[in-house]
Amino acid sequence: MSAAVIPLLAAAVVVYALYKKVNVYDAFVNGAKESLPLIARILPYMAAMLIVIELLNTGGMMDMITNLLSGPLSRLGLPAELLPMALLRPFSGSAAMAFVSDIFDKNGVDSVLGMAASTMMGSSETIFYTLALYFGCVGIQKTRFTLPVALIASLVSVIASIWICNLMFG
Amino acid sequence: MMSWIWSILFFAGTVWTTFSSGGDFALNAMMAGAQKAVTLCISLGGAYMLWMGLLGIAKEAGLIAALSKKLRRPCEWLFPGAGEATGAITLNIAANMLGMGNAATPFGLEAMRLMQKNNKDKRRATDAMCVFLAVNASALELIPTTMIGLRGAAGSAQPSAIVITTLISSGLATIVAIFLCRLLARES
Repeated sequence: MSAAVIPLLAAAVVVYALYKKVNVYDAFVNGAKESLPLIARILPYMAAMLIVIELLNTGGMMDMITNLLSGPLSRLGLPAELLPMALLRPFSGSAAMAFVSDIFDKNGVDSVLGMAASTMMGSSETIFYTLALYFGCVGIQKTRFTLPVALIASLVSVIASIWICNLMFG
Repeated sequence: MMSWIWSILFFAGTVWTTFSSGGDFALNAMMAGAQKAVTLCISLGGAYMLWMGLLGIAKEAGLIAALSKKLRRPCEWLFPGAGEATGAITLNIAANMLGMGNAATPFGLEAMRLMQKNNKDKRRATDAMCVFLAVNASALELIPTTMIGLRGAAGSAQPSAIVITTLISSGLATIVAIFLCRLLARES
């Protein structure tokens, strides 16, 4: 049902534009045309980010850091299994997702850990990539307090995910 | 800030990988990352074409301006000084809430462009931009469509059981982000 809303909304926009005597075809083409310079503008930022992420992931440094941190953090109540994905999530969605499927395999999709991992994955964002992209695209260099706030918000979602899943499914 | 973080990550990643797996491996990893960016951009290109084309029609029909006007008051409270970017911000947040990340990005970049237009110091982020990005980073989702799909594919008996937990978790993160932004924006 809900999946039908978006395409029907798009169709309604077209009908409304026709009613408003808009040259719909030209409007679409002109809008779509703007995506080309946009892609060209964001590609370098993506490349900069993905080069570093690939280095950290395949080079094994990320594993080293998560191993180093898993001891002290698990003492704070964060399940050790969830730690690598919590740490990776701000950098790379696909890398974090690899750990989520690992948890699915080992603990089960509907286990408390599986639920917590799914919730964490759905309630956080690849922060570094998003900030680099959005700010880079318009040439902002002084990002002020955005990154620390985003990281704190991400931490909140990690803690909240574990807490709520323990409460509901534990 | 980004410059420092990137430099540190690049330096540490390169040195670590070179000493642990060799120089060739490090260079290959960098190359793979750059190539991923290109393929990702190409696949995103299709989504951007579609959504920016539809956005173009909505703009021409005056729908975006109408949306901006309607939501100016609540938006002005949340994103002080967002002005004409209101419509694009709304679309971005709506797309994010529905779990349509590919549609959210072009709307979000359009919002950034409009906010940058009225920015006096082009190198420094405005309050509205900071809140906008903090809200984006806290990933408020009504229906985490991607995750539900992945859970279903992994054989879950109740793939959508995470809807409520995700909403609570991302809702809390969003509230904290907004609160912190307001606090910090006032002080600076």
